[in-house]
Amino acid sequence: MSIAIQTSKLTKVYEGSFRAQDVHALKELDLIINQGEIYGYLGPNGSGKTTTIKMMLGLLFPTSGTIEILGNPNVGSASVKRNIGYLPEGAYYPDFLKGEEILEYYGKLYGLGGKDLRHRMAETLELVGMTHARKRLLRGYSKGMRQRIGLAQALISDPAILILDEPTTGLDPIARKEIRDILANLRDKGKTLLISSHELLEVELICDRVGILFEGVLQAQGTLDELLVQRDVTVDVDDLDDATAAKLAERGLQVEDRVGTRAKLRVASAITAYEALELCRAFNLKLIGVAPRRETLEELFVRVVGAAQSTRRQ
Amino acid sequence: MGAFIDFFRGPWHIAVYTYREGIRKKTLIGFLILSLLVIFGASFISSYLDPTSETDIDLKLIKDICVATISIFGVLITIFISASVVPGEIENKVIYTILSKPVRRIQYLLGKFLGAQLIIIVNLVLMGFLFCAALYMRQQVFPSLLLWSLLLTYFEFLIISAFTFAVSCASTSAVVPTIIGLFIYITGNLTEFLKDVQNRAGQSGKWFDDMIGWVANALYQMLPNLQNFSLKTQIINGQPNDPPTDVLIPNLMAYGTLYAIFGFLLAWVIFWRKEV
Repeated sequence: MSIAIQTSKLTKVYEGSFRAQDVHALKELDLIINQGEIYGYLGPNGSGKTTTIKMMLGLLFPTSGTIEILGNPNVGSASVKRNIGYLPEGAYYPDFLKGEEILEYYGKLYGLGGKDLRHRMAETLELVGMTHARKRLLRGYSKGMRQRIGLAQALISDPAILILDEPTTGLDPIARKEIRDILANLRDKGKTLLISSHELLEVELICDRVGILFEGVLQAQGTLDELLVQRDVTVDVDDLDDATAAKLAERGLQVEDRVGTRAKLRVASAITAYEALELCRAFNLKLIGVAPRRETLEELFVRVVGAAQSTRRQ
Repeated sequence: MGAFIDFFRGPWHIAVYTYREGIRKKTLIGFLILSLLVIFGASFISSYLDPTSETDIDLKLIKDICVATISIFGVLITIFISASVVPGEIENKVIYTILSKPVRRIQYLLGKFLGAQLIIIVNLVLMGFLFCAALYMRQQVFPSLLLWSLLLTYFEFLIISAFTFAVSCASTSAVVPTIIGLFIYITGNLTEFLKDVQNRAGQSGKWFDDMIGWVANALYQMLPNLQNFSLKTQIINGQPNDPPTDVLIPNLMAYGTLYAIFGFLLAWVIFWRKEV
């Protein structure tokens, strides 16, 4: 698989002024993002995500190390930026412009014009589901609509790489789902997406690979299958009462998500799934289902960042 | 030729956008409305009340008020807009969406600077038009001298704008560049005074006295003499259609342009490796 973005020993130090300490925002970051994948770039606040993205765009300059975008090391040059669409977090778009005027402005900055620009505008507005609102002023847009028009300005030149900083933050669940669908659609069209986000559930649902950054160091990188640990098994049952729940807990079956007589039983590692099923039969519980339980991305994130924090303390 | 046009295409789009955004700024609209009200009030209302009793002194007073209004509000608009176009975009993150496009930093700066100039010119034209109309209605003579004065005033503003813009490129807010812009305007109009200070300093032989003379001389050499651009005395005392005297307009335009180019290059030097 070809590489879309690669950083090698990328380091960024913000020099402190006067008596302030230097801030080591990134420490020898080696990142590989393949073409055609959605890469989730995760990390707590201040971990260096936005610094990395800004260096990829030539807005900040590395202290040391290199970045290659589609094999080109001239990051920040017009030829590299032509292949990138960028949606910053919480960017402002002027209220006095209409949706299509925003796209026209950004399209012209890519050198588009005339028929090509009109065609791209129509295509992009359709893609982000904003055709109906193209003639409306931005001051009449909802937050979700503004985010979509932000996404549209990033897509106006049909770039090979999209860099999105918190694309779904602050949106309602429906708007999130819609943005997620758009992003999945773009991946299917062969685009490479780098998504920096705190919305771990969103990332888990859509990303092919993730990288977890903490204090400027890449703590983990890989596909979700590689990173998420197969934890245990859950058994869904009915006809559960308090007394039975207590007895099951003594035997290693923890009750989770109980609603009335229905519950999810988590099988501890001490017993096997077969033993769990035998116990359910012994207590005359109605079996609804048995499912393997995988670690969530949130659990992975907490585990990786927690381990990094404890290493730092030592 | 194609590459040349391509180079300026991006800045032009940025300039038009900057202009469209800038003319909607409430502070700027406030300055413009105030200035138009003062010009309108001074030139129309007094004659409306009692046109027959107007004397030459009244007319001079009206001209004085209008010229001062254009100068003061014009420079406030110039400083306000030049100080805010770049820091404003850093603050609201629009700069990220522009510099991540295939736009060079010098193109971005050129676009913002041109956009600021469009705003300054439009405001100057509006104020000047009202003053011209008022003078024409009173004296029934086309006030060509006022047009020359407006042209020179623009070149004065161009210098102030370029240096305020340069300082704004090093700043993350508009406050410091606004203060520096006002400093340039005030000291630029006091350069003759600086020359005088330099001549009088050093007579006591004390080091502090010498230093004041040295600083005054340095400022005198560096700062543009903005008084050169003023036709105020001639406008107030002369006829509206007199040709401008005691000034070489092409030389002053070249003088203003050179200072503005220097200011813009300074902005570029500050901005080309600025981390945003």
